[in-house]
Amino acid sequence: MNLLLSDDYLLQDYPESMTSTIRSGHATMLRFNRKGDYLASGRVDGTVVIWDLETMGVARKMRGHNKSITFLSWSKCGRYLLSTCQGWKAILWDLETGHRHREVRFRAPAYMAELHPWNHNIFVASLFEEQPLLVDISEPVDVKRVLPSAPKRSNTENDAALKEKQAKEDAKQMTTSAIWTATGDHIIAGTSKGKLNIIDAKTLEIIYSEKICTGVITTMRITGSGRDLLVNSQDRIIRTFRIPNLSVEDLDPDTIQLPLEHKFQDVVNKLSWNHVTFSATGEYVAASTYNNHELYVWERNHGSLVCMLKDPKEEQGVIEWHPSRPLLAACGLETGRIYIWSVISPQKWSALAPDFAEVEENVEYMEREDEFDIYAQEEIHRRRLDAEDEDVDVLATDPTKEEDGLDNFRMPILFNLGESDSEDEFVAVSTGTMRRRSPGESQADLSAGAESSAPVRKKGGARGGGRSKKK
Amino acid sequence: MSSPDELARDTPPPYKRRRTGDTPSSRSSSPDVLAGDPHDFLPPRRLSQRGGGLSKSPSKPPQYLDDFSRSQSLSRPLSESVRRSRSASSSGSRTRSQSPVHSTRSPTRSPRSRPRSQSPTSSNQSRSESFSPEPQQPTPTPPREPLKPNYKARLALHGHTKAVSQVRISPNGRFIASASADATVKIWDAATGAHMDTLVGHMAGVSCVAWTPDSNTLASGSDDKAIRLWDRVTGRPKTTARKSAGQEMAPLRGHHNYIHCLAFSPKGNILASGSYDEAVFLWDVRAGRLMRSLPAHSDPVAGIDFCCDGTLVVSCSTDGLIRVWDTSTGQCLRTLVHEDNPAVSNVCFSPNGRFVLAFNLDNCIRLWDYVSGSVKKTYQGHRNEKFSIGGCFAILHGEAFVASASEDGDVILWDVKNKEVLQRVQGHKGVCFWVDVHGETMVTAGQDGSIRVYRHIGPSTEVNGDGMRSHSKTPNQGVLQGELPIRQDDVRLEEALS
Repeated sequence: MNLLLSDDYLLQDYPESMTSTIRSGHATMLRFNRKGDYLASGRVDGTVVIWDLETMGVARKMRGHNKSITFLSWSKCGRYLLSTCQGWKAILWDLETGHRHREVRFRAPAYMAELHPWNHNIFVASLFEEQPLLVDISEPVDVKRVLPSAPKRSNTENDAALKEKQAKEDAKQMTTSAIWTATGDHIIAGTSKGKLNIIDAKTLEIIYSEKICTGVITTMRITGSGRDLLVNSQDRIIRTFRIPNLSVEDLDPDTIQLPLEHKFQDVVNKLSWNHVTFSATGEYVAASTYNNHELYVWERNHGSLVCMLKDPKEEQGVIEWHPSRPLLAACGLETGRIYIWSVISPQKWSALAPDFAEVEENVEYMEREDEFDIYAQEEIHRRRLDAEDEDVDVLATDPTKEEDGLDNFRMPILFNLGESDSEDEFVAVSTGTMRRRSPGESQADLSAGAESSAPVRKKGGARGGGRSKKK
Repeated sequence: MSSPDELARDTPPPYKRRRTGDTPSSRSSSPDVLAGDPHDFLPPRRLSQRGGGLSKSPSKPPQYLDDFSRSQSLSRPLSESVRRSRSASSSGSRTRSQSPVHSTRSPTRSPRSRPRSQSPTSSNQSRSESFSPEPQQPTPTPPREPLKPNYKARLALHGHTKAVSQVRISPNGRFIASASADATVKIWDAATGAHMDTLVGHMAGVSCVAWTPDSNTLASGSDDKAIRLWDRVTGRPKTTARKSAGQEMAPLRGHHNYIHCLAFSPKGNILASGSYDEAVFLWDVRAGRLMRSLPAHSDPVAGIDFCCDGTLVVSCSTDGLIRVWDTSTGQCLRTLVHEDNPAVSNVCFSPNGRFVLAFNLDNCIRLWDYVSGSVKKTYQGHRNEKFSIGGCFAILHGEAFVASASEDGDVILWDVKNKEVLQRVQGHKGVCFWVDVHGETMVTAGQDGSIRVYRHIGPSTEVNGDGMRSHSKTPNQGVLQGELPIRQDDVRLEEALS
């Protein structure tokens, strides 16, 4: 509704300044939900925290992991959240209750696990030194199916030597990242040898594979439309690809092409990239830098760098772009704070006084012929009432917003998660005075034992510069 | 020289307009009108019973209440109580008006008691007659339209000892919350009218209540400058969700003056409050933390509402301005002001969030298109000159109406499009402060300390003709009689009609 009144579309559509800092423990992973009203953060101590972006406060905290969270994935409806940790398991949380819906154990730590875009009972997990799994948890006993990592071979000759060599190579291929296409019919997987495989989710066969880079593929993301793919690899180059339409009726695997669109890199500093993200529309690409404080934002039309965000003196890890707004969230590697960059729309002063208008330059005022004519009060009133013949509809909503109907999940509001929960280093003592929280000070937390972040907090506090901008 | 005249003229206009029961003549005149009114459906035993019920009330001994009201009226000097429209109204006026009401009413009521004892059919007839000689009704019942609101009085809920300033139906339609000048909030069952809980904790009159979208939590704002959150299920102040359970949540403090209006965001995560300190506060409900304070107006904030997607807040004030705010940035996006600059006493968004309904103290309700900044419709026919009177959009079978209370005690329903009065429901003696509609249920709050529940009776029962009427009414009556044994000592439900 506020879009009807604001000129925010005139503003630039990438963030320019840091607007807030939030903190709950040491965050290592971030993910926005599809609607963009909640931000999930995973902590080093295994706690998953849901932030409400409207209030910038904690909406939920869920404990179940005891190792650092590696990945988070929201279901389409926003009710379920899948989290993986270094402790060999994944938990699907039900945000209605805040309890775990399902728990799945692996034989290795999980790099990531992404939920099917339409079905929250299916997810694909890529594991450390293990073959990736397609997990179906719709039944009480979860069904795990192993996905191939070895690239598709075109030759079918029975050359024993070659086969052996290939088998050796294939054994070294490990999937490090696996994501769904927008339709959920295919899985795009990146391997430790820089190969990209497209796997049919029904037959579990690789229908296409190509070597796209030399290093390990660390991150892969697609845009909301599902037409563009973003790949970060350890060869210090970020690549974007166009994803072909894989959902056509008679898809011939041999005709699939994955054209490379852009390569983003810093040739001067030879920077390598911690994490990458697409903007809401895919127009921009943002990346956090290794051993550096800046965030880089490129624009994808021309492939040019548009800005570098460098507010906090800290190296940033995971970064996330809000699904609809020019808002970027990143978590600091050292302190585990979550930094949020956004655009600040200026107050329109004419909005405060309706009889004023903002003009660019002086305008000579032309007086209307009848401007100062005097009429009887009743006459004016009657005319006004007569003029109100317009048809109004107070019920029908904007048809373009109808799509919101399908995800009408509303997270219950928990009361008084409390100031204790913000876990700021600074505690307000009285107006204007702040005191540093002593390390042992009670967080009134349910599992105080899991609060391994206390020393980290102390370290962060020593920097002192990060006085959070609380509103 | 002419000191009394000077004084009278010196009174600031908004205060003058919002003055409660300023002259004894105006006060005593209103009961007269009501007493002569043939539609006053209250059975004669109500008043006597009410007196008895009060003294018997177990939760609040009358001694305490008297003390309380006295201390309250002491703590607020006259100038203040004049400024205060809703909750302050009762303390002085009640004692003045009560006795004449009793005396003038009882004779007129006695003929009314006869049809009550008769069969349902005849009582029905007397009801339909009672609406026909309506003097103020401007529309002489046009040819039957497919949908016309037809709210009939069903229950009268007594229990508050002072004027009821606001009444709200919970979003799921099952409960009614009422805020009163007697410093309590009461929760009632919307279907049966049974009294469920009395929320005691405020130190002064309560002006406003708001339900969270899940209907499980209630916020109340009071003249003691605090906002309290209540658990509907337990009837206690909201407790923390953490290990230190049982610890009651502290009231939300921060306003420097009386809280006058409250609204929850559609998600329930933000609470907006408007106060006499002229500011609008946005609270993070989860943490009980003040999130944003908007320097909103130059007069008391009289009304506040969230739009359906939660991105906009509208506030209004007696300074005549209606301001639309962006929830996320806290910026004012639009200011609406009418040329005549009448004080605005209440605002609400249309169900789709595209329009703002503003209740002006010049006997008009205006429907604003806030995007274009123009008045689309003006609804007239009610009386609203001094009180902060409430209303809302009513939705019945996919049709929207505008419902508003009126200072003559009635409730008026308008057609949104052609601005015609569709129904005028007789209600309270004295001012009717608030009306809330949830589908077929309508609730009003009045200066007389009572809450009335109305129910829409669809056209199907009426079209059937006279012969069918008695038949169609019987289940309704059966329901009512079935519920009557729930009566409690301090809470009486009455089958309001018949």
